[in-house]
Amino acid sequence: MQHENVKILIVDDEKGLREGSKRLLESEGYCVDTAENGTKGIELGTSHDYDLAVIDLKMPDIEGTDVLREIKNKRPNTICFIATAYASYDTAVESTRLGAFSYIPKPFTPEELFNHLDQGYRQRLLLLEAEKLKEEREATLLEVAHEKSRLKTIIESLSSGVLLINSEGEVVYYNHSTLQKLDIDNLEIGEYILDKLPGQIVDIINQFLKSDNIIQKSITTQVEIRPNTELVIDATCSPVPHPDGSFAGVAVVLKNITGFKQVEHVKNQFVSMVAHELKTPIAAVLGFIKLILDEKIHVPYEQQRDFLGRSHTRLQGLLDLVNDLLDISRMELKTKQREIQELDIKEVLISTLQFLEFELKKKDISVDTTIGDNLPKLNADQNEIIRVFTNILSNAIKYNKDSGSIKINCSLKGNFLVTNITDTGVGLKPEEKERLFQEFFRAKNKHTRGISGTGLGLTIVKRIVESYHGKIEVESEFEKGTTFTLYIPINK
Amino acid sequence: MALIAIIDDDPDIIEASTLVLKSKGYDIISAGNPDEAYEMVKDQNPNLIILDVMMDEPDDGFFLAQKFRREGIKTPILMYTSVSKTIGFEYGSGEMVPVDDFVEKPISPDQLVEKVEALLKKELKGSE
Repeated sequence: MQHENVKILIVDDEKGLREGSKRLLESEGYCVDTAENGTKGIELGTSHDYDLAVIDLKMPDIEGTDVLREIKNKRPNTICFIATAYASYDTAVESTRLGAFSYIPKPFTPEELFNHLDQGYRQRLLLLEAEKLKEEREATLLEVAHEKSRLKTIIESLSSGVLLINSEGEVVYYNHSTLQKLDIDNLEIGEYILDKLPGQIVDIINQFLKSDNIIQKSITTQVEIRPNTELVIDATCSPVPHPDGSFAGVAVVLKNITGFKQVEHVKNQFVSMVAHELKTPIAAVLGFIKLILDEKIHVPYEQQRDFLGRSHTRLQGLLDLVNDLLDISRMELKTKQREIQELDIKEVLISTLQFLEFELKKKDISVDTTIGDNLPKLNADQNEIIRVFTNILSNAIKYNKDSGSIKINCSLKGNFLVTNITDTGVGLKPEEKERLFQEFFRAKNKHTRGISGTGLGLTIVKRIVESYHGKIEVESEFEKGTTFTLYIPINK
Repeated sequence: MALIAIIDDDPDIIEASTLVLKSKGYDIISAGNPDEAYEMVKDQNPNLIILDVMMDEPDDGFFLAQKFRREGIKTPILMYTSVSKTIGFEYGSGEMVPVDDFVEKPISPDQLVEKVEALLKKELKGSE
């Protein structure tokens, strides 16, 4: 056996034996330290990690057994021998009980000593190996624990609910979000959950639980947890296999899709409104054409002409509507190219009024325009600003009385260029005023019959104005007239 | 001959339907909004009501039909619908919607006459 670097401590008050053993062991390759009494023995034996220690039982200051106890206490892997000339059965037992590896009776021959030490050193190597394995195992366990806690933190912090159910239908794990997604107060690990889950999810889980073969796919459903689209979730159920491939349970991932559902609802409503608005003129025109073509009814020629004229008007209205819808859609998609330039509000108003001259003359409407001096320029897209004024002014004409008037007043208020446009038209009832800017809203009363429009003009105005961070207000008195006030921010 | 009330906010539809039914010899009265329609039906007690489902508001026609039924007016109602198929819900005649039959716009003259005749026949049998 190799003894190089095997560190050994000899504690003995008998100098000859101490020195003799040291020389003997060093010649065999051991690294030897010696202590001439118990106190020194404890000091050395506890402060160094000796492989082996030979401790004399009887010393003047401290008993060998005390030295042994102290060393074993601090250095459990140091292999200790008790050496004594007063060998007795009791001391042997006592030393072993205190942790001595064995007991060397004095006097001993070199061979006896070597023999004991070799056995002890083998034990020492085993102890070190065991120690190392234990440390490694602890490190692994610690890592697993860290990993587990990290995974737990991740799952807990997910905004989606994660719920694990075993093959008995009991809760194995859930994260906090699960409760919120299912709108329930509490779940206990191990409790039977299938009677607490929404029926649609239970049906899917039962498919997994009751199947003879493990189902390999995930199944998704959407569940309205709180009515009126207040809370809607998407639940994805996936099978969880054991490492051997057999069925262990079901993982349910719950996502909140309320927002999507609400947008979908608004979209569907809009689509149905658009469909209605598109279909109405088509139905009217088709009705006229069917009548004209119907041989049994015989529509007189004059009436046919009238129907065709009205069909023409309806189709023109339909085209306007489609164009307005496309404009709105471009605004929504922000695909509309804007050419921002400096605009003079006066020029914009004049050119808009010129454009509407025919309509103004037809109803004999007078326009009174007051534009403050030295108004700052606007930074905006010319087409968009003209569109705003065209839509408001054409309403002011369409809904005006014959020979009525329109007053336009433009001034600067703080950071806003403020334009008032007042007409002497049919006005709005309070409930109509509230809904004026809604898509497709058109005031319907005895005064508005026969006036055509898409119901989108003011929607477009509002969107354009708001896109410039401006605002539009409306004041109106039924059967008296309406005033629109536009606030468009300027760069001073 | 039977008196038919046509209630629709689209004057073109009223005119076209009126022409079709008049050619079959029916007498026609019409109204363009729910309030006017309500008064007209109460005053003139028609044999059949043709009612558009969407007037100022989606479902205005339904509310008016419900109002008639609540007040004991049992006149058969033929409902004009326009987007029910487009938006994916189908109305069927039943308790919830107190009307007797539906016609999808655009209306074909033959189909309109057929449905009107069928409802009037039922109405006559019922009152016998």
